[in-house]
Amino acid sequence: MKAFCKKYSRQLIIIAIIIVAIIILGILKPSRETLLSHTSPEMQKMIEADENSTRKRVTVTYNSLFIINYASLSTSGANVMSEHYVGFLGKVYPADEGPMKVVGQMVNYTYRMLGTGENLMHGAKLTILLTTLTVLFGLLLGTVLALGKISKKKVLSKISSAYIFFFRGTPLLIQLFVVYFTVPGIFGFAWRDLFNSSDAEAVYKGAFVAAVIAFALNSGAYCAEIVRSAIQSIDKGQFEAAKALGMSYGQTMTRIVIPQSIRRMIPNVSNEFIMILKDASLVFAISLMDITTISKNIMTSEGSYLVFIPALVIYLVITALFGFVFNKIEKKFSVYE
Amino acid sequence: MSENYEYILKTEHVSKRFGTLEVLKDISLSVKKGEVICIIGPSGAGKSTFLRSLNQLEKITSGKIFIRDELFLHRENDHTIDRLPREKQQELLLEMGMVFQRFNLFPHKTVLQNVCEAPIVVKKEKKEEAEARARELLDRVGLSDKADEYPSRLSGGQQQRVAIARALAMNPEIMLFDEPTSALDPELVGDVLNVMKELATTGMTMLCVTHEMGFAKEVADRVLFMADGIIAEEGTPGEIFTNPKAERTRNFLNAILEA
Repeated sequence: MKAFCKKYSRQLIIIAIIIVAIIILGILKPSRETLLSHTSPEMQKMIEADENSTRKRVTVTYNSLFIINYASLSTSGANVMSEHYVGFLGKVYPADEGPMKVVGQMVNYTYRMLGTGENLMHGAKLTILLTTLTVLFGLLLGTVLALGKISKKKVLSKISSAYIFFFRGTPLLIQLFVVYFTVPGIFGFAWRDLFNSSDAEAVYKGAFVAAVIAFALNSGAYCAEIVRSAIQSIDKGQFEAAKALGMSYGQTMTRIVIPQSIRRMIPNVSNEFIMILKDASLVFAISLMDITTISKNIMTSEGSYLVFIPALVIYLVITALFGFVFNKIEKKFSVYE
Repeated sequence: MSENYEYILKTEHVSKRFGTLEVLKDISLSVKKGEVICIIGPSGAGKSTFLRSLNQLEKITSGKIFIRDELFLHRENDHTIDRLPREKQQELLLEMGMVFQRFNLFPHKTVLQNVCEAPIVVKKEKKEEAEARARELLDRVGLSDKADEYPSRLSGGQQQRVAIARALAMNPEIMLFDEPTSALDPELVGDVLNVMKELATTGMTMLCVTHEMGFAKEVADRVLFMADGIIAEEGTPGEIFTNPKAERTRNFLNAILEA
């Protein structure tokens, strides 16, 4: 631990400064109440009136993003009013026009695209969850396929090659459609059946399961090549030493070869992860609410062409974070070198 | 296990072809328990291939291999004619430990883990027992202080001694050494040879492919001179080194001694 701190002292200091800065800015940002108390007297009156009435006329949207927050109030009815406020560093700024309006929109869009306040299957959380599950299952499947491909049994090797050829030779989007529409169509089931319900949530969850399956099947083909080349890069002497010690093929693979291959796979797996992260945007085609779908919906419903900029930033931040994580994993696996 | 056998290891008419290249031609050899045999000869003579075909790292093309007088494998023209059942074969193969020229330690495991890996995984020994024995063996090869290091932190000589300890951990009756000092810096050779000498004095049956003539002279009961896939000459170290009969042996020894 001590050695770790010493080795990464500069990075740790930078990370600590960033975290402290976020916490301080977070504490300093105005509270929800402060933000809402800045509304015009007319709006105040309507809010108060709403409190004693079952029919709400004011819709309040409040988004808080770590260091900055945003409130939007709009009324329905004959006399439509709308007011927007941004809170930052203890101050409240009206955001009905000018640069502050853009800032407010960005906060709102980012908040929605991150999937804040929704369950795990929304926004950036969906993207990360889908990508992580895909890589995990893809690697498992890829390992099986790779072992098949390098197997001396011709049948296994042919099956693996055919699988890889098929999944690398067809578009992921069509594969997603096949898993989501064609397979249930042929076999007479629906993905929502998995959740013993036919409500919207079950449909949504079912679509998520279908997406994970389609992506993992596809990723397995790519991971197979990653695993295969890593295994084949292991010195033949390792197989011979294990054999001379009486270890079976399975023991040699699981205890000697694959553990050594893992480190060599990491850069390629990291690459695959980033590819899947971006491919995951294809789930808009089956109505899953990932970053891409949400940004496109915002574009359509609010006509805001700026929404794609925070979308790009979110993807970049996720890529950077996972790049960092993979880097650390690679270092951890390199201890013996 | 039965001790009533004449030869612990025997080959009859063993041949090995790689494509059209005949690497081993009709090699017959009988080894008694406790014998130390050194195999010398020019490179490309088939020494390593012969050693590797004994513990099945290479499949022989034809010939018979006996272990403890039992017919272990009989092949003709790349077809197996007769062999022991797989389990029995596996059991007998465990009686042969092998040390490689390039050590082939498992780089992702510590020295201690390298030594106790096979006893735990193959022989299903208890972890504590295997580790205790591994520490004894490391002590024997003079590396007890390196137990928790990774192989990459060790010198070549130390790695090779770990490799010997790793092979010994399976309690083999026969040790095969495939040029164990060829990949080492000259100053590291001595430590490895000392371990091998110590092993020879304990009555271990040993087959060593080696270029260390001094070692062969001192330790071997028998020296085989191999050239072009045959055993060109064999005899005691005295016979081979002081009075070689075959012309090829003389040329080889002259070349080595001049160098």
